[in-house]
Amino acid sequence: MTLIWGGLSLGAIYAIVAIGYNIVFISSKTFNFAHAQLTMVGAFVAYTGLVTWDLPVLVVVLMAAAAVAVIAAIEERIAIRPVGDMHNILVTTLGASILLDGIAQLTWGTQPLTVPFFAGDEAFTLLGGRAYPVELFLIAMAVLIVVALGIYSRRSLTGLALLGMAEDREAALLRGVNVRRMAFMAFVAAGALAGFVGMFVGSKTFAVSTLGAALALKGFVVLAIGGFGSMPGTLVGGTLVGLAEAYASRYLGGEYANLAVFLILITILMVRPAGLFVRTKERVV
Amino acid sequence: MQLARRLAGGPLWIVPLALGILLILVPYFNLEYSIVRQLQLAMILSLLVSGLNLSLGFAGELALGQVAMYAAGAYTAGLLSKNGHTDILLQLAAAGLAALLVGVLTGIPGLRLGSWSLAMTSFFLVLLLPDVIAIFKEDTGGRNGLTGILSPTMFGRMLTPEDYFMVIAVVTVAWFAVMRNIAVSRHGTALRVLKQSPVLAASMGINVFRMKLMAYALGAVPAGLAGALFASLDLYISPEAFGFTVATTILAASVLGGSASVYGAVFGAFVLQFGLNQSTDFQKYSLVVTGAFLIIGGVLLTGGLSGLARALWRKLAAGQPAAAPADRSDPDASAGDEVPAVPGKVLKVEGVAKAFGGNQALKGVDLTATPGRVTALIGPNGSGKTTLLNMICGFYRTDAGVIALDERQLQRMGPDQVARTGVARTFQTPNIPEGITVREAVMAGRYAGHRATVLEAVLRLPRYRKVRKGDLAEADRVLDLVGIRHLEDAEATALPLGQRRLLEVARCLIGNPGVLLLDETASGLDEDEVERLAEVIRRVRDAGGTVVLVEHNFQLVLSLADEIVALAHGELMAKGTPEEIQNNERVMSEYLGIDPDAPASPHVVLADVLTDGAQDGVGR
Amino acid sequence: MSTDSPGNAADELLLEVRGLGTGYGDLRVVWDVSFDVRAGEITVLLGRNGAGKTTTIRAISGLNKIVAGEVRYRGESLAKVPAHQRVRQGIAYVQEGKRVFHSQTIEQNLLLGGYTRKLKRAELRTEVERIYELFPILAEKRALPASSMSGGQQQMLAIGQALMAQPRLLMLDEPSGGLAPVIVNEVMERVHQLKETGIGILLVEQAVEASFAIADHVTVLDMGRTMLSSPASEVSDMTLLQDAYFGKTAG
Repeated sequence: MTLIWGGLSLGAIYAIVAIGYNIVFISSKTFNFAHAQLTMVGAFVAYTGLVTWDLPVLVVVLMAAAAVAVIAAIEERIAIRPVGDMHNILVTTLGASILLDGIAQLTWGTQPLTVPFFAGDEAFTLLGGRAYPVELFLIAMAVLIVVALGIYSRRSLTGLALLGMAEDREAALLRGVNVRRMAFMAFVAAGALAGFVGMFVGSKTFAVSTLGAALALKGFVVLAIGGFGSMPGTLVGGTLVGLAEAYASRYLGGEYANLAVFLILITILMVRPAGLFVRTKERVV
Repeated sequence: MQLARRLAGGPLWIVPLALGILLILVPYFNLEYSIVRQLQLAMILSLLVSGLNLSLGFAGELALGQVAMYAAGAYTAGLLSKNGHTDILLQLAAAGLAALLVGVLTGIPGLRLGSWSLAMTSFFLVLLLPDVIAIFKEDTGGRNGLTGILSPTMFGRMLTPEDYFMVIAVVTVAWFAVMRNIAVSRHGTALRVLKQSPVLAASMGINVFRMKLMAYALGAVPAGLAGALFASLDLYISPEAFGFTVATTILAASVLGGSASVYGAVFGAFVLQFGLNQSTDFQKYSLVVTGAFLIIGGVLLTGGLSGLARALWRKLAAGQPAAAPADRSDPDASAGDEVPAVPGKVLKVEGVAKAFGGNQALKGVDLTATPGRVTALIGPNGSGKTTLLNMICGFYRTDAGVIALDERQLQRMGPDQVARTGVARTFQTPNIPEGITVREAVMAGRYAGHRATVLEAVLRLPRYRKVRKGDLAEADRVLDLVGIRHLEDAEATALPLGQRRLLEVARCLIGNPGVLLLDETASGLDEDEVERLAEVIRRVRDAGGTVVLVEHNFQLVLSLADEIVALAHGELMAKGTPEEIQNNERVMSEYLGIDPDAPASPHVVLADVLTDGAQDGVGR
Repeated sequence: MSTDSPGNAADELLLEVRGLGTGYGDLRVVWDVSFDVRAGEITVLLGRNGAGKTTTIRAISGLNKIVAGEVRYRGESLAKVPAHQRVRQGIAYVQEGKRVFHSQTIEQNLLLGGYTRKLKRAELRTEVERIYELFPILAEKRALPASSMSGGQQQMLAIGQALMAQPRLLMLDEPSGGLAPVIVNEVMERVHQLKETGIGILLVEQAVEASFAIADHVTVLDMGRTMLSSPASEVSDMTLLQDAYFGKTAG
């Protein structure tokens, strides 16, 4: 059970990254390579706020969310909006992710930094396994975000507009939705979310400049499993990836963890390339 | 400018070849050690970049796993050497194969989905690399690196450092010759078509998945070669040499040099190796610089520096206008030519039905198009014409019914297979690949029907030459047929709309299609162009071709069609000769919303307004 | 609908299109189109396939760029107004092909139609109820996804969705397209009712006969140019339109 808690909380992190990919994907059909790096920056900012400046948790969380939202806004303006070609967006957002990696390295160094968790790091026993507070918190948060986004998108007018935009951009525009602005806002919101969760992710994994790359890949695998655009899919994918990683490193050895995740990715791509929760649509010529 | 023009007149490969020979002879120039080493590393880097270009620049798929193939090649060669197999040729062959294997194995799943999945799958390889090396620690040395690599030999003779430099240079030059021969061949054109539009590629009979896999996996080979060369350069390799930084450097060099070019790889690699990597500051800021560069490069330099250079070159060399719009050809020049027989086939559509969700787009449609006749398909918007066309071409699956070309049933085939069976089509918006001439664009229509393998193309073997000769001759023929031969050296995308449509028709005709599907080919054309098009269609028909015409221009339909099939609400509404259709009341009311029994009254007569107006419009 | 329909003065000149030129990228489809739409009137745009009718509407709604000429709405030029802003100003466009949001329910579709209204949830509901009164069939199916409805019902929904934005100018692109003749008549009847509320309507149709019956003004396009613009009462002789479409000279 200890293993399960560990795996699930890891999976929750990946799911949260995948949710960020999804928000951007739904609103603008693009893939933000740098989203995981945004989460990483959130973790670093949280470290600075909590450890270096010794600020209260609530302030730090808001600070991180705001800071990363601003970075996301800048990224959208310089690395996404001016790019005409979809192929090039892959290159530019990858560039943004590398740039963030580099800035993080210069600012915070290459050593892993411990981000304290507000509810302490005393492990306790739950359902026959040892678990840390931050682990349960992460799991709860992933589920909560998915549920909240589900309700929001079905209930609020903005949510409906977003979904409408995902389905038919032109039709949404003709209903008076400012689709460009909406896509921009969604991008920034995804950034704010990444900044917000950064503190808790950092508590579990350390804040380290290689975090981005690892999260990006695992987040992508989660997305591939659940299917692009599917929010509930991220939870299933996260669970699968987190557990696979935990079990592989426990029973086969640490160097098998990534390999296990990679095998899942390959299998999904071969068997159900659109993911488990997305029905393949016939392409339109 | 004179010089530029004269140079442009000669074979262009002379310049790179000369530079290549110069590179091979470097050991005789007594250069400083550090420069020699930088040269070697730059050559190795340019191999890696070139492999990425094949995938990113030509097939349009971003791959980040070049480093993994590089490592696969290096470790293969290193282990061989450690076990006593020191012959560099053997190592190169084995390393190339190992890398190819990695490419195929990761390309198959990675290419199943859209572009992100290959980027991520291959990126994952970079992350996996240290793990895999650690798993085989006993052989690979794990994190400590692989030691004990022996000095390379060739045919049993030990290679001096000078010899080894020449080996690297020869391999590099040889690879770029291969790359150049791929790029400047029908395969290169096919890749450009693919990058422009997978739909277009499939409709020309190109298997999209296989083509992309070919480019990606083939791009692994130079990476493997580079790995083998690297292993014997330092006689030591460790996971650190194959990290994330190398992966991004490769990408940066590719973008810098222009990923869609052949020699841009060399340029990008040399700039990065000699320029940026020199400064120690760069090490510290490398990620920041690379990242910023990728953003800027992605936004601004679509063609890379080589793209800029080429544009400049064209300006210099082009004393004569690039795409001579010329006199509108002379339509009669070719009119007298005999059109060789076009072996049309019978296209039969029986009871075809298709639903999208709850919307029944087609409810059992029959249609027969026979050789030597033009069959027109008309109907109001949303009546199912385009759906039917897409089903014939294999882009949609049928829910029920049979589609057959002569005896072969098409309804279960993919679009590329349908195309190879003999169905050729044009698109409502002409789909023309960038960066190729009109002649090449037309020749691409023969790609699937007349095959020559990549190897035959690389070595320019007799079969490739024969096919190429056929391509050229046929291109001349069909360009004459549609009357735009005088434009054959113009950049295809520079043509105005009317000529682009004629180009599409030519591209279809070059494959001697069993049936030619024209999807609103006349829309947006002026009167002369419509006339030209009609003439082309008549000739194809008279030569025995089967033509299916989906068209809004009713005048054109009436003047061309032997039979008209009218659809409404996904069903067959009427079928018959132009005269029958013109007098069919149902067609009148459904298609045009005219009730023939409506009362007539004087004032303004719409009919006169329309016909007069039409002539006015043309006159302008 | 009648009470709070926008304060269009009767006969107010809503839309003036003068010498419009537009197209897709470098493909110019419309060269010289001119016509008016007045409040409380229906202007029907006729012409064969490819004449430039849809492209004209797309330019008015802001989807295509105006390359030449002028489009004025309530006296102001639209050239610099972005598409979503035009909806706010009261220009609603129902595209051909019943482009509702298939994955959303009927009610969600209607709510989204009121996106520009900035109303409280409860007020928006009241507006939705009004649409249900207009199209009772939508009320019956309010909780079902739009994809489950028939073509005619989807057309009703598309119109209802556009009305939620409380337009002064409603542009309908082939509302009868792909519908059975009986339903076409029903749609036309609805459109006729709408004009009674004071909305100005621009109707693109291929169903000449049916749309003629409700037209106040007729504009005929061919090859991207206005061939005729005239009050409906002065236009007749439908039989000859057939020859125009098919071209007497051909064959």
